[in-house]
Formats: sequence, C-alpha cells, structure tokens
Amino acid sequence: MTPLQTKVAELFENGTINLMIGFKSAVNKLPVPFFLENASLVEQLIFTPACKGNLAVYLHKPEVKQAKKVGLLANVATLRSLVQLTSENQLSDIEKTVITINAQNEVVVFENMDEVEVYVQANFPEYTDEDKKLLEQLNAMTRAERWQYWTDQFSACVKCYACRAVCPMCYCSSCTVECNQPQWIKVSSETTGNLEWHTTRAMHLAGRCINCGECGRICPVGIPVHLLTAQMNLDIEKEFGAKTGFSCTSGYALNTFKPGDKEQFIK
Amino acid sequence: MEIKNIKSTNIPAFFDQLIQSGKVVIAPVLKKSGKVFFEAVQSYSQVATEYIQTGFSAKSVVFPKVEVLFSFQKTEEGIEIKDSITNIPETVVWGLRPCDGSAFNYMTEFFLKENPDAYYAARKERTTLIAVSCAKADEACFCTSVDLNPGSTSGSDILLTLMGEDTYVEVMTEKGKAAVDISGSLFTVSEEKNKEEYLAKIDVKFSMDEIKEKIKTSYNSAEWKNESMGCFGCGACAFSCPTCTCFDIQDEGTQNKGLRLRCWDACGFGLFTKHNSGHNPRKNQTERRRQRLMHKFKYSVENLGIVSCVGCGRCIRVCPAHLNIFENILSVTK
Repeated sequence: MTPLQTKVAELFENGTINLMIGFKSAVNKLPVPFFLENASLVEQLIFTPACKGNLAVYLHKPEVKQAKKVGLLANVATLRSLVQLTSENQLSDIEKTVITINAQNEVVVFENMDEVEVYVQANFPEYTDEDKKLLEQLNAMTRAERWQYWTDQFSACVKCYACRAVCPMCYCSSCTVECNQPQWIKVSSETTGNLEWHTTRAMHLAGRCINCGECGRICPVGIPVHLLTAQMNLDIEKEFGAKTGFSCTSGYALNTFKPGDKEQFIK
Repeated sequence: MEIKNIKSTNIPAFFDQLIQSGKVVIAPVLKKSGKVFFEAVQSYSQVATEYIQTGFSAKSVVFPKVEVLFSFQKTEEGIEIKDSITNIPETVVWGLRPCDGSAFNYMTEFFLKENPDAYYAARKERTTLIAVSCAKADEACFCTSVDLNPGSTSGSDILLTLMGEDTYVEVMTEKGKAAVDISGSLFTVSEEKNKEEYLAKIDVKFSMDEIKEKIKTSYNSAEWKNESMGCFGCGACAFSCPTCTCFDIQDEGTQNKGLRLRCWDACGFGLFTKHNSGHNPRKNQTERRRQRLMHKFKYSVENLGIVSCVGCGRCIRVCPAHLNIFENILSVTK
C-alpha cells in the first residue's frame, strides 16, 4: 500500500472518517472520482499529477453531507476552494478531514482549516503560462474585438451546464437559469441567451472563482470559459487587494465593507 | 447495395461536386480549440481528415439543438400560426463514423415509429449520410461491444473505406446512389473486397447478449450508487450522444408574438423530472444516471427493439468526471 492508502485506511479504522472522496484510475487511464465507504478498496486510491479534478464540488452533494465525517483528497485548487467556501460559511455542516500530498511527496493530513489556509498561502498557485498568454491576447483586443471573440465562442455553447456542474463555487441549490417565473435567461441555446448565461455566471463568480480552470478544461465544446472569471479575479485583486481562496476569514470582496475602502458612496 | 471504387485523389472532386449540386454539406472541421466538430463547409479543403471522432454527433442535422416548431402572432383576426417546416435544404453529412450512421436507425425508430414526428421526417428525408470507416480508434471506442464495427454500413447511405490509392465505396441506399450519380464518372464498378485490414482494431469489452439479459435484473444493484456518485449532473454526455433524444418544449416571445421551440434536454439534469410541486421522482444523481444507462441498454430494447448505445465513446471523452459508460455497465451487471 502507498503511504496515502495506509493513512486513509487508518482514518477509517479509528473512525475519523466514514466516507473518503479521492481518485481511482479508470480503464482509459484518466482519474475518476472515487467514493469509499470503508477501507476495503483503499488500494485503488491514487493521487497523481493527472488528478486535476476539483473534488471540493462534491461537498455540496446531499449524499456526502449525510455522511458527516468526510475525508477529501485535495490538490491545491481544491484546498483553495475549501478556504473560499469556509470564508463563505458553506462548510460548517461537514466534519471534514482534508488530505494532500505535498511537494516532498509526503502525505499531509490537515488538523483544521487554519492549517489548510497556511498551506494554501505558502503554495499559492500562479496563473498558468497558457492562461496568462490567452488573457494578454484578450486584453490586447479592442472592446469590439473582445465582444466578437466571446460572441463567437458562446455561439457554440450548447448549455449543457458542465461549467456550472464542476464548479465548487456554484453551490446555489437552485440556479438562476432554473427559474422560469420570470424566465431570466432563455432555456434555448442561442448566442444572446448563451452570453447572458455566461456573463451572469461570471458576475456571480467575480472575486469568488478560485482559478482551478476546471470549467474551461471540461467544456465539451472547448470554450475557454474560465478566462472570464480569471480576469475578474485580477480586476478585483487590483481594486480591492483581495485574493480569492486565500483567507478563511477575509470575506468576499464585493460584499464586505471596510472603513478604509476608497469608495465614497457608502460613507 | 452497389459496390464502387473511387481513386482517393478524386475524393475532393466528389465532395466539391456535392456542394456544387446545391446541397448543404456538413463535415468535420478542426476548430481552434483543437476539437473537431461538424459544420457546414464550402469546400473539401475545410474538412478535417485526422480525427477519431467528432466532439458532437451529427444528430443536430435531423434534431437541432433548438428547433422552431411554429411561430404565433396576434393579429386583428385572431391568432396566426405559421408552420416552420419549409425550405429544409437537401443536406449531406460527410465523414460521420459508422457508429453515428447506425445511430440514425435508432433516431428514426424513435421519431417515426409511433406518432411520426413531421419535423424529424422532413429533415431525415432530405439528409444523405456519407460515412467514413474508422482506420483509428481510441480507448473510449467500443462499437464492437454493441454489435457494430469500424466498418458497419448500417444506417449510412454510403460508406467510404480508404484503401490507400483506392477508396472502397459501399452504396447502401437510393439516396446514396443519387449522391454517387452526381459524380458518376469518378466511380468505377468494384468487386467485393475485405475491408478488415483497413479498419481499426477495437477490443470487445462485453457481450451484448449477456448484458441485455443481466441488465434486466440490475435495477436495484448497489453498484449504481458507486458508479454514479461522481456524476455532476451536467448534460455533456446527453448532448454529445448520437442517440439521446430528450427535448424540452419552450415558448419564447412577447405578449403579441412568439416561437414554440424544441430544445435539447438531458435526463441527467435535476430539473428534468422535477415537478411543479417541488417533488422529484428521480431524487438523486444515482437515479438519473441509472435512467440514462438503463434507457440505452434496456428500455430502448423493450420499446423499440434496439440497443440505443452505438459505442461512439463521446460520453466517455466529454465527461468532466471521466465516468466510463462501459465500465459502469459492466459493474452494474456483474
């Protein structure tokens, strides 16, 4: 057994967890989310650099909430999600044990969210070179060119809502697109309605997105949808000095007021 | 069936003559994202050739992601309703894979068997399917497990198999014959050839007969939960699937005029079965994923006599959680 598997078996044994969310390898060699209710299949548990999925999203699942004592295998993006979700008071009903494997290849079991926060701040992920390049290209465009770029991209969207489904920060129990009294956003997939959906989503995630990039990575049409919120984060960091998924206590930049804020309208 | 031969170097000429004949030709195109999708093209130079499978299937040609059923408008005389099945162009789908060709068999049964759907019928009647057999496959392909193969002609009007300098042409239907006749001089009569060595080798993952039998009693298998916990409940699998036919009827418009639309829907969405009362008979993702898989391998067999999975592998390639339909099916029937 790997040190990770041994550790997880131990956590089941001593009753720390009754559900473990991790990864296993599938026939097509891609890591699949893996839900263990006991240690019997622990030898299938893996954690490799290919495990890019953000498992924090499963903490919103009713079956997971019912388990109460949940072990979660986390990459840095997942840890960042946990920090952000904690700052939004979304994880108080789950007793969670968070596990990662650090750069020294050691299994780390976090005692509490403070430790997660320290780890995240010490290992805070940069934007990938590819995303930096794409954002630079977008920012170099004129406003009209950028509008055209996103119009073209979203004309291909089929509204499968995979971008919403994989996002740990999209946790509303009922999404605005599911509301039909009134129908804020059309059900049908066509360019204007698709743009409405994606801008609504981006605005809801502005300054909350933790840049895991999963929404862009998994889009079946290949729309780099993650760039919208990635840019929003840069803007919010510039305007408010707030990094997302950085602190469990700082709150959300767009609904937090501080006396030192530069805006005058509220004073 | 007629068997013909065309020089592989003449394929572009055949293709361009199809376009010149006034047909809309939908073909695989390599997009900037690196993925290949079907779209209308103007010349063979736009057509992707190096692809295993297109991102989405060609079903949108006969079952568009959004289809206007009719328009309505208040007038002084009352309400005017206008039918929308007009001017549907003659369309050729080029380069679909044999699995996708056979998917049209299911689509046609579903839409036309009982209460024939006029919209589907009108589009299908004007659509010619020119499939290209698969020389390559990937780990998601499993057509050989659902009683098809990389050279199946079922459902297609023409199947092209590249054999080096020559391309072997199986003309399966009258529509296929009409398409070939457009470029009659490019084709010669051919004897029957064995395609085997030009086709991809795809392992058989399971015996379809065995699965069909075992799945009858798998409804309460505990494995459904294990196999479905990772499902996010998005529609990527259903929308990319060549045989998923669920739709949602929507009215869009103002107080005075509007459109009635048929939009793609997915049984994986929580909203799909949610009642107005708030009650949801398929209350969790396990039940929704079970519905999707049971529909493919059990319900469509009972209702239409056809397994409605063609092994194209798209749902495996697009699944954000990398869930694997044939692994799932094997697991719940073991």
